[in-house]
Amino acid sequence: MTEEQVIAWLGEVFECRAGELTADRSRDDIPAWDSLGVLTLMAGFDEKFGLVMSADDMQKLQRVGDVLALLRSRGKLD
Amino acid sequence: MCSRCSAPAASSTEGITLRFILVDEILELTPGREIIAQRRISPDEEFFQDHFPGFPVVPGVLLTEMMAQAAGKCLYAEDTARGIPMLAKITSASFRDWVRPGQVAILRSHIRSSRPEFATADCQVDVENRQMADAQLLFTFLPRERFGAGYEDAVLTRFLNRSRARP
Repeated sequence: MTEEQVIAWLGEVFECRAGELTADRSRDDIPAWDSLGVLTLMAGFDEKFGLVMSADDMQKLQRVGDVLALLRSRGKLD
Repeated sequence: MCSRCSAPAASSTEGITLRFILVDEILELTPGREIIAQRRISPDEEFFQDHFPGFPVVPGVLLTEMMAQAAGKCLYAEDTARGIPMLAKITSASFRDWVRPGQVAILRSHIRSSRPEFATADCQVDVENRQMADAQLLFTFLPRERFGAGYEDAVLTRFLNRSRARP
């Protein structure tokens, strides 16, 4: 999956309009990145990428770029 | 009293009562993986009075809740320690045909993922082997201590007791 595809997917997860998400967007600026957003993201990591994340792991993700870096480090980004 | 489960009526507004146990019976259960359950749609359901006069159909929101309750039982049977499954998100839902009074809704749920913090399920409602509705649901878990001391899933308990009693 490319970076653009991941950002598009995150846009669906966090119910954002196309182009609204960029790597430097902070969790605090994304209203749907709340507790339900975290659950949705965890489920997405599991089902889309085979990554089982803990609540502590999720807490470390504070920006869109952190998600990209995580996926890159796990070999899930092209 | 509730005619379905012989429990005291839960609440009342101007004489209208509504219990919220939307699964009558579990037919098959593989904990944490799959469940098939059923709900008989009685013509006497109170919601038919308003939904709709002359055209009684089960509200989609209740079909969704039926699917969620069935999937929740499948998850709770897998692991009671992580808490009570609670519907967190309706990822998608489709309603393909009307479910009418007198029909028997068969509730099928396939658990896609089941983790300590969340679970996802593909669910559907069938009537006479025809798919009437389907939904993808996301669950979270709430500690059992948050519920009343007497909380029990009577439908699940009855199924498990019956299963244990079988030779």
